Amino acid sequence: MLKVMSSRFLCLLAFLAAPVMAQQVTLPLPRLLTVMPMGGQVGTTVEVAITGESLEDVTALQFSSSKITAKPVLDPAGKPVDNKFSVTIAPDAPAGVHDARVVSRLGISSARAFTVGKLAEVVRTKPNNSVETALALAPNSVCNATMTKRAVDFYSFLGAKGKRVAVDCAAVGIDSRLTPVLILADAQGRDLKVNRTGGVIDFTPPADGTYLIKVNDLTFQGGDRHFYRLALQEVNGSAPAPRQAQTQTVSAMSWPPAGLTPSAAASETEPNDKAAQAQKITLPCDIGGSFFPAADVDTYEFTAKKGETWWVEVASERLGLNTDPFVLVQRVTKTGEKETLTDLAELYDIAGPMKVSTNGYSYDGPPYDAGSPDVNGKFEIKEDGTYRLQVRDLFGGTRNEPGNVYRLIVRQAAPDFSLASWAVHMTLRNGDRASLSKPLALRAGSSVAFEVAVIRRDGFDGEIDLSMEGLPAGVSAAGLKIAKGKSYGHMIISAASDAKNASGIARMMGKATINNATVVRPCPVASMEWPVRDAKGEIPAPRLMADVPVSVTDSEPAPITITTAEDKVWEAKAGETLKIPLKIAWRNEFTGTSIKVKAYGDGFTTLKEFDIPIKAATHEAVLDLAALKTPPGDYTMAFYSLGISKYRYNPAAVPLAEAAQKKAEQEVAAMAASAKKLTADAANAPAEKKADADSAAKSAAEKQKQAEATMAEAGKRMKAVTDAASPKDTVDIIVSTPVRISVKAAQVAAADSAPKK
Amino acid sequence: MMRWKSRFIANALAAWMLTLAAAPVGAADTPRPLTFVNDIVPILTKTDCNSGGCHAKAGTGQRGFKLSLLGFEPQEDYEHIVKEGKGRRVFPPAPEQSLLVLKAASIVPHGGGKKVDPKSENYQTLVRWIREGMVYGSDKDARLIAIDVEPKRLSMRVKTTQQLKVTAKYSDGSSRDVTHMALYEPNDKSMAEAGEEGLVRTLDIPGNVAIMVRYSGLVSVFSVSIPLGAPVDHLPAAKNFVDQFVFANLKQIGVPPSPVCDDSTFLRRVSLDIAGRLPTLEETRAFFASPDPDKRDKAIESLLSSPDYADYFANKWTALLKNKRDEAADITANFAFHAWMRDSLLANTSYDQIVRQILAATGTIVANPAVAWYKRVKEPNQQLEDVAQLFLGVRMQCAQCHHHPFERWSQHDYYSLSAFFSQVGRKPTAIAGEDLIFHKRGVAQTENKKTRLPVKPAALGQPTLDIPPDEDPRLQLAGWMSSKSNPFFAKALVNRYWKHFFKRGLIEPEDDIRDSNPATNPELLDALAKHFADNNFDLKSVVRVITQSRTYQLSAMPNEHNAVDRQNFSHYYPRRMQAEVLLDAIDQVTGAKSDYADLPPGTRAISLPDNSYNRASPFLKVFGRPEGASVCECERVQSSSLAQSLHLMNAADVKAKLAASNGRAESLARAEMPEPKRIRDLYLAAFSREPDAEEIRIGETFVVKPRTDAKGKPLDTQRAKRQGYEDLLWAIINTKEFLYNH
Repeated sequence: MLKVMSSRFLCLLAFLAAPVMAQQVTLPLPRLLTVMPMGGQVGTTVEVAITGESLEDVTALQFSSSKITAKPVLDPAGKPVDNKFSVTIAPDAPAGVHDARVVSRLGISSARAFTVGKLAEVVRTKPNNSVETALALAPNSVCNATMTKRAVDFYSFLGAKGKRVAVDCAAVGIDSRLTPVLILADAQGRDLKVNRTGGVIDFTPPADGTYLIKVNDLTFQGGDRHFYRLALQEVNGSAPAPRQAQTQTVSAMSWPPAGLTPSAAASETEPNDKAAQAQKITLPCDIGGSFFPAADVDTYEFTAKKGETWWVEVASERLGLNTDPFVLVQRVTKTGEKETLTDLAELYDIAGPMKVSTNGYSYDGPPYDAGSPDVNGKFEIKEDGTYRLQVRDLFGGTRNEPGNVYRLIVRQAAPDFSLASWAVHMTLRNGDRASLSKPLALRAGSSVAFEVAVIRRDGFDGEIDLSMEGLPAGVSAAGLKIAKGKSYGHMIISAASDAKNASGIARMMGKATINNATVVRPCPVASMEWPVRDAKGEIPAPRLMADVPVSVTDSEPAPITITTAEDKVWEAKAGETLKIPLKIAWRNEFTGTSIKVKAYGDGFTTLKEFDIPIKAATHEAVLDLAALKTPPGDYTMAFYSLGISKYRYNPAAVPLAEAAQKKAEQEVAAMAASAKKLTADAANAPAEKKADADSAAKSAAEKQKQAEATMAEAGKRMKAVTDAASPKDTVDIIVSTPVRISVKAAQVAAADSAPKK
Repeated sequence: MMRWKSRFIANALAAWMLTLAAAPVGAADTPRPLTFVNDIVPILTKTDCNSGGCHAKAGTGQRGFKLSLLGFEPQEDYEHIVKEGKGRRVFPPAPEQSLLVLKAASIVPHGGGKKVDPKSENYQTLVRWIREGMVYGSDKDARLIAIDVEPKRLSMRVKTTQQLKVTAKYSDGSSRDVTHMALYEPNDKSMAEAGEEGLVRTLDIPGNVAIMVRYSGLVSVFSVSIPLGAPVDHLPAAKNFVDQFVFANLKQIGVPPSPVCDDSTFLRRVSLDIAGRLPTLEETRAFFASPDPDKRDKAIESLLSSPDYADYFANKWTALLKNKRDEAADITANFAFHAWMRDSLLANTSYDQIVRQILAATGTIVANPAVAWYKRVKEPNQQLEDVAQLFLGVRMQCAQCHHHPFERWSQHDYYSLSAFFSQVGRKPTAIAGEDLIFHKRGVAQTENKKTRLPVKPAALGQPTLDIPPDEDPRLQLAGWMSSKSNPFFAKALVNRYWKHFFKRGLIEPEDDIRDSNPATNPELLDALAKHFADNNFDLKSVVRVITQSRTYQLSAMPNEHNAVDRQNFSHYYPRRMQAEVLLDAIDQVTGAKSDYADLPPGTRAISLPDNSYNRASPFLKVFGRPEGASVCECERVQSSSLAQSLHLMNAADVKAKLAASNGRAESLARAEMPEPKRIRDLYLAAFSREPDAEEIRIGETFVVKPRTDAKGKPLDTQRAKRQGYEDLLWAIINTKEFLYNH
């Protein structure tokens, strides 16, 4: 993986990068960027407009729920209108955030959140940046809008005295770059109540009348990326103010544990802040509680026996809350009335499986964090006795938020695991790290690598086999297993060089043997919400995707394909040298003299970097199993590198655009001739036919004008596609197809090194 | 004791002892041997040897000879004088030849000049002490336990003198007159002077002044009340306790107050002070027209409930809380923090809660903007110093390195306060340079950098706390601060706010509250603090009680007696508008709009979230908008300068505002109303008052006169008139009446 790239390798990158400052990072991938509106009401059909990048020939808009379907919007002539779809949301479509994506020339795009709810929806169509232009909102409705830079959006509603309403602005949780500020004001715009921390305004009008809602970005940013959904809802009684659904953070990959009931078996009972008020519980337990009020401490007391080991898991941050739970377990001993507390365990965060990028000067890890501030740890009982367990929120000292709930589980070991996966990212120049969203849209002949990270539960440390199902025709995947005790592996997904256009919804999963039973767990895929091109200036925002769409395109091939000469299992004995002949197809022109190659996959990560000369059609990879110390067993590995090649974006569009331009030119010429003729005719027409002739001449002039406009458009398009199709230095990760290797036990050492799996 | 190494010195010592035995003088007069602590350190202090500028210069001392500041570390000083450099500074066989004496008397060249005269008692004492063998002193010696100044309190007429007597009291019951050895310092040098020998002389300003008297680390105060002695026959009817205390003081010192100001002055004054803006034309007209006897109180309420109040005071607080833009990426943190402060004020969150949320902030900035304070103020020492100065009015900086010279705070007190911040945990976030803050479990303690011993938390003047490792010590600190019995918290705030409304704090500087710097009206300060605490630290209640008082509403025009008054609030002290307020006021009067980066058009200068806008606005810079670098209000420059005058008269941005399209000059020139009415509107907008007949006449004559362009070509009537109004506006914004809140 990239993290272990040698400094030499990075130096090379820097060297390669230096003379070509304008080089492109990663081959273009289809990305869906905005969807307007960003959601709809169940049982309705809405017209949706999309924008994106590297999108052409968009043929379909798809959703992660089969209850949401879309058809292209047709013009009066029955021709599909570009980037517009009519989306039908079935009455039984599940409420919540779904993923939308489009199918395009390059395949299936990255996802964009699409919310389905029960409230009526509107789209703001006119600017509403002042009190006077406030858009009137009906109660129990959602408005879809985009923020204007350096502006405040105004809404108004009629409030009834004593009738409680909740104003909630969804933005961060639906892929928006907006950090929403909500202000509730009187009819003159004088502020009454404010929320700037992504929360909700819970408001009971003191009098009947018009009230205003102001929305802006925290730093008054705006533009297409700053979209939001503003919901105004009436709330009955004292129920918590309703919130709109949001996507899941990467940390949520480890919650809930398999088989957990949706709600806790018991709940905390206040007061339980002090030792004397400790809530008596028996283990195991499953308790729901809240970090409320400020500086809340929840203390539980139980008895336990020597030799017992208990596992503690707390979920709060993984529920989408801004909390940092902490658990302290203490033993209670008494001498007379005097109580002594002895610390048994302090349980802090769930460590991430991989070191996360520090967003510093250079790349030092993936920009994804599967760890969490939540708790997952254990304590061991050394003596029979009474024990206390405290739960507190390390962020909760001054924060009074009743919605900051947690779930505390204390259980006997239930070994298990949770997985999440993401595309391998790369860096180029120091401090210029791109964190791009990478949909699984493959080019024929390409292979991509995904890191698969595991959070292990309750002492499970066995190996995990990784696999994928449901791949479209022409696409295959091989998991490079997560070895015993390790925290990540890889998934290599490859498209055959002769693959045809295809797409489908795949599943990624991991399989392990736990307590002699086979356990299979799903592996959700994480991606960036936005293609962040410089993570120093913009904070990358990753999230879990709803599912795993995969596509392959034959519109253009991969710049390079590295495969083994034969599709077979390569065998060798431990300690031997294994030579694997590679076939390399160079389709684009590469920069430099060679590419530096390393390896992914347990047993081979320490492979010494080797060079493959540019344009070499074959190369022999030499694996020194003695140096690698690869123990006997069956392995899958892959080679990877980084290369800069000349890439032409959609050159096929150039002749088409050229033809269109030519046609437009001819049309203009024809129209001009016709107009000239008709004008002359009109000038010479007899008086009784003068009116008709004038009219015909006018009409021809109009048509000529239209044709000229079309020609100008065609000219612009021609320039755009020609520019895009001109060769650009493009750096990308190169991954070989997976290589299967079987290492047999060396005969001499057979006695003392039994084959290990 | 002393390490005499050479035989020569041993012999010399023997000879000297003989000399001593033979010496009849002194021994008989003063049987008590002189000690370093009781007799020499006071000399070093009195003669400035151990001042920060001389041998107590931090780190280095002076030319290799280092003393502790004001003698707070006598043991170290003794080592340096007697033992350092092989004892080269003292020569007991011939005490007058000791380097210490030769330098002090400038007999050999001394950078500090002549500090003791060979004929003086101090000289004799030094010589005798060396002759006596340079006794340090022992535990059995009498310890200095108190100093008494007599008289303690006195009423003195202007330009009179009073000799003080200072007596040092020792643990053995003895006492000494140390008048000539004590140090004297008035807290307001414009009111009184104090001579080296304790002679106090009042100047010509009436009021209260305190002379701080210091001797050997102890501090006492001589309080002087300087009456003017004028008859105080007419006092406005007191509206609340503020007036009772202020008027009682005025009566006592004989300074008659000015009358209560008129409605127009009041409305303009209170709008500027609470909302940081001029009253609108509509507000002014409505206020004038209202016959309601409570209309002043109602205007105060209306201003207090407006977002302008929150904007204006957030501007004040965020600068003090160092909301400073160092890098472009700070924008999110700064906007969030500023907005959080503004929202807290808008919601009228109690002051103790606001402080608690800053002090004990945890989490990330976007989720809990108060955390941004920990981004700006990173080190525990800086944290305690800022908290003490800003929220308690106590300057602890000195006590980091030595005992506070004017205060009871020691290094131990300093580190005890620092220990509250010892468990602030930090974790990096995805945003470069921004940590998230959490309470790190553990026993709160910090190391005293002097003694290298661990120190547990203790609030100022409070016992040491044993805080369980699970509790965030900062919450305990916040709890102590906001307890009603806290001697600093409420006082510091009301004094700060008093200054906001009256130009001068009851204690000056407003954040230097100490026994040796008493308030000019201590009863009033106590009453205000009590009012604030009793109202659960409701900030608006402080503003309300101040602005409702007749004292606040007194005219700025002095009467025949009180012009000289600078601190008794017998009349309103006019102040130049602050940079932001002035810029907004010019915008408001000219009808122009300033434009600020990243903020919606129409944003006012008082709503700017951080200091970054000072760079782009020469106006804000010239008029002293603070940079958020310090917790001191003094960072805001309120003095006047030539640059300010020139800017108002000539700067391009001001000129552009005068000529703003759709601005006031243009619309007045176009307005369909008679000239006098237009001039009236202009005066109402700028001064919140009607012009008098003469002003109308002058204005009208000026506006309607024919004008020519730059080439001398006559302008058409409309353009001439517009230019006339631009010029009139220019004249108005350059008047003191406009520039000042009065």
